[in-house]
Amino acid sequence: MDTVLYDVKGAKRFFQRGPSTIEAVGGVDLQIGAGEFVALEGPSGSGKTTLLQLLGALDRPSAGSVFFEGRDLGALGDGELAELRLNAFGFVFQQFNLIPTLTALQNVEAGLAPTGVDSNELRTRSLALLDEVGLADRSSHLPSHLSGGEQQRVAIARALVVGPRVILADEPTGNLDTETGADVIDLLSGLATSHDATVIVATHDADLAARAPRRLAMRDGRLVGSAADGTLVAVVRTGP
Amino acid sequence: MFYLGYLKSELVRRKSRTILTVLGLAVGVSLVIAVSALSRGLDEAQAKALDPLSSIGTDLTVTLEPQSQDVAQSGGGGFGGGGREVIQANQSVITDLSKLGKPGEQFVHDFFLPGTQLTFPQSTAAQIAKVPGVESVSSGLVLAAVHQAGTVPKIVAKIKAGGQQIQVDRQIQRPSAAEFAKMQACLAKAGITVGGAQGGAPPDAAGGGQGGLGGGQAGGGDRSAFGKCLPARLQRFRATITTPEQTLQQVVNPPQTNIKSSSYTIAGVDLKTPGIGVVTSALVSSGRFINASEGGGAHEALLSASYASRQSLKVGSKLDLNGTVFTVVGLVRPPLGGQTADVYVGLAQLQALASQKSTVNVLLVRAADGSSVGEVQKQIETLYPRAQVASAKQVADSISGSLVDAASLSKRLGTALAVLAAVAAFLLAVLLTLSSVGKRVRELGTLKALGWTQWQVVRQVMGESLTQGVLGGLLGVVLGVVVATAIGAFGPTLTASSSTGGGEGFFGLGAVTARSVTDQVALTAPIAVGVLIAGFLLAVVGGLLAGAAGAFRASRLRPADALRQVE
Repeated sequence: MDTVLYDVKGAKRFFQRGPSTIEAVGGVDLQIGAGEFVALEGPSGSGKTTLLQLLGALDRPSAGSVFFEGRDLGALGDGELAELRLNAFGFVFQQFNLIPTLTALQNVEAGLAPTGVDSNELRTRSLALLDEVGLADRSSHLPSHLSGGEQQRVAIARALVVGPRVILADEPTGNLDTETGADVIDLLSGLATSHDATVIVATHDADLAARAPRRLAMRDGRLVGSAADGTLVAVVRTGP
Repeated sequence: MFYLGYLKSELVRRKSRTILTVLGLAVGVSLVIAVSALSRGLDEAQAKALDPLSSIGTDLTVTLEPQSQDVAQSGGGGFGGGGREVIQANQSVITDLSKLGKPGEQFVHDFFLPGTQLTFPQSTAAQIAKVPGVESVSSGLVLAAVHQAGTVPKIVAKIKAGGQQIQVDRQIQRPSAAEFAKMQACLAKAGITVGGAQGGAPPDAAGGGQGGLGGGQAGGGDRSAFGKCLPARLQRFRATITTPEQTLQQVVNPPQTNIKSSSYTIAGVDLKTPGIGVVTSALVSSGRFINASEGGGAHEALLSASYASRQSLKVGSKLDLNGTVFTVVGLVRPPLGGQTADVYVGLAQLQALASQKSTVNVLLVRAADGSSVGEVQKQIETLYPRAQVASAKQVADSISGSLVDAASLSKRLGTALAVLAAVAAFLLAVLLTLSSVGKRVRELGTLKALGWTQWQVVRQVMGESLTQGVLGGLLGVVLGVVVATAIGAFGPTLTASSSTGGGEGFFGLGAVTARSVTDQVALTAPIAVGVLIAGFLLAVVGGLLAGAAGAFRASRLRPADALRQVE
């Protein structure tokens, strides 16, 4: 691990659902280095998405802390978190989450526009990213006119357009068939390498996870095993 | 600019929602504009119709009207009884057909009646002018006129009667012995002796009488003395009965005639007081005012525009009033409720026509300044207890009709309706925006995940709403103008009526002499630029409010929660 990007210490996240408290993430300790490609495995409901949101500054931990590049995300204000999300993180969602009224190009631009670059640069950089994901000729299409794989590629372009340090992908192949999913993951890992981005992919697909150099397994909000070589080793923890 | 492109895409690609919101705001705005324009139109119509005195330069009108309690007491009141006065004043209402001309001739005749607005000397004007606070006084004579035209009917048949001598031939009972003796004594007293007959039976009346007379004459006695001594019973037959000669005029009942009656009102305008009077030059709508210099407006008349159109008269038409021909020189739009009339001529002309020399029945008083009107009114009322002094408001209150109803309706409901429309438009805009934001929670959460700040998200949502507000406002202004113009073009005609004189109880005369004036006021909806701007701003503010409400809701969502929302 060259540089420690993330240092997660006892991070917990609870949700209040009526009278009961649900522990989505129940004390996670984790370090991720810059340039890693990490798969976060686990069945749905295991807390993958919540952990990803904590890592992506979309949410603050209820207890414990998440340090990113040495900064405690839980202690930062809304503006600083927004700034981090804009410049440091790129998100890829299972549902693609493209803005339905915007074209492919505009969707990519939406990820860069808040940086305040002038419209020429905005267009040029966005088109370049679209080209990288192989959709330069579909730039004026609305999401509804794109296939699932194409939509996810637009989302990847959007996530990468600002040049983020981390790509956080939540079930990026969940809505795609196996072949397309594999293509998308290949694209993601290839682009991450060329853009020097760390990738953290949450998935319940073991085949997909197997492609990652480092695999983390989650069960009931806790990390139950990890393998740096792609082989998952169960780690049984005792007690809270 | 990316954000503007995004805004445009949102509005264009969510067409139905945008159109619904814009239309909602537009309808609200146009309603507000139309209602205010309508209400303004009513106000203007009302101001025109219901502020009857100011346009004739007057603050107060002074009239002399019989008070109703006089009528109830039927002449028993201290003022000699209004009812009787009314009847006296209107006596000439009975048409004497015999004075119109020879049967078969065409005739035109006009009656001029003061109705229940009694006349008083013109000199009263000078007295009231002396009341402190009075700036000027004008007098007027407003009369109800009945115009009759037709052929003089054959109404009388002349019958000569009398002049006959009547012969009476009748057996009369002889004088009795006692009567005879009395006669003898009477004659003896006069120195006439009736001889020979003393012992005999009395002579037959006629023969004896004659004989006696002859005797009397022979005896040198007085013939009249004999007549005097005849018994009273017999004396009557001494006179020659001649019936008096006379011509009887038998009225043919009913007379065969084709007389057409029409009534109108006529007012005498005081030409010495320009700017104040029963009608003023300011009210002339076409033609010109009566020329005061030409000997007090000799034979020139003004017509009220509505009367002129009813009678198909125009400037230049001739009016025959009891043989005097007046030329119509102008049309006027007299205010309602004032001392209005159909026909206006110079005061002196009308006084001559109606045989009302130096009398008037209305005084128009202008106070030196608005604040002293009440004081002046009080003083005149004190000075002339019987005078009816009416202020502009009191006159306005006597006006009725659909205009008044509509105006009061507008006063009560207009503002409420406008507010309701505005509130409805606001609510619609807010609800639509909120629902659209509700559907876009994930989208807005995604923007936050992409690094959009709270302000950037809020700005985007508000920008969309503001644009919708501006569009809705513009469309609403256009719609409002169209609706208001349509009201002006096809809108209903409202009426306002005022009645002067008349009233019930004047022995039926009230109905005959009541003067009722109805003015047709076409409803217009004039639009003030201020209202357009206000309506437009209303939509913009509505859009902003809606945007703020939606954006507030969106901004409260933490990005993780927003993303968790299931589509």
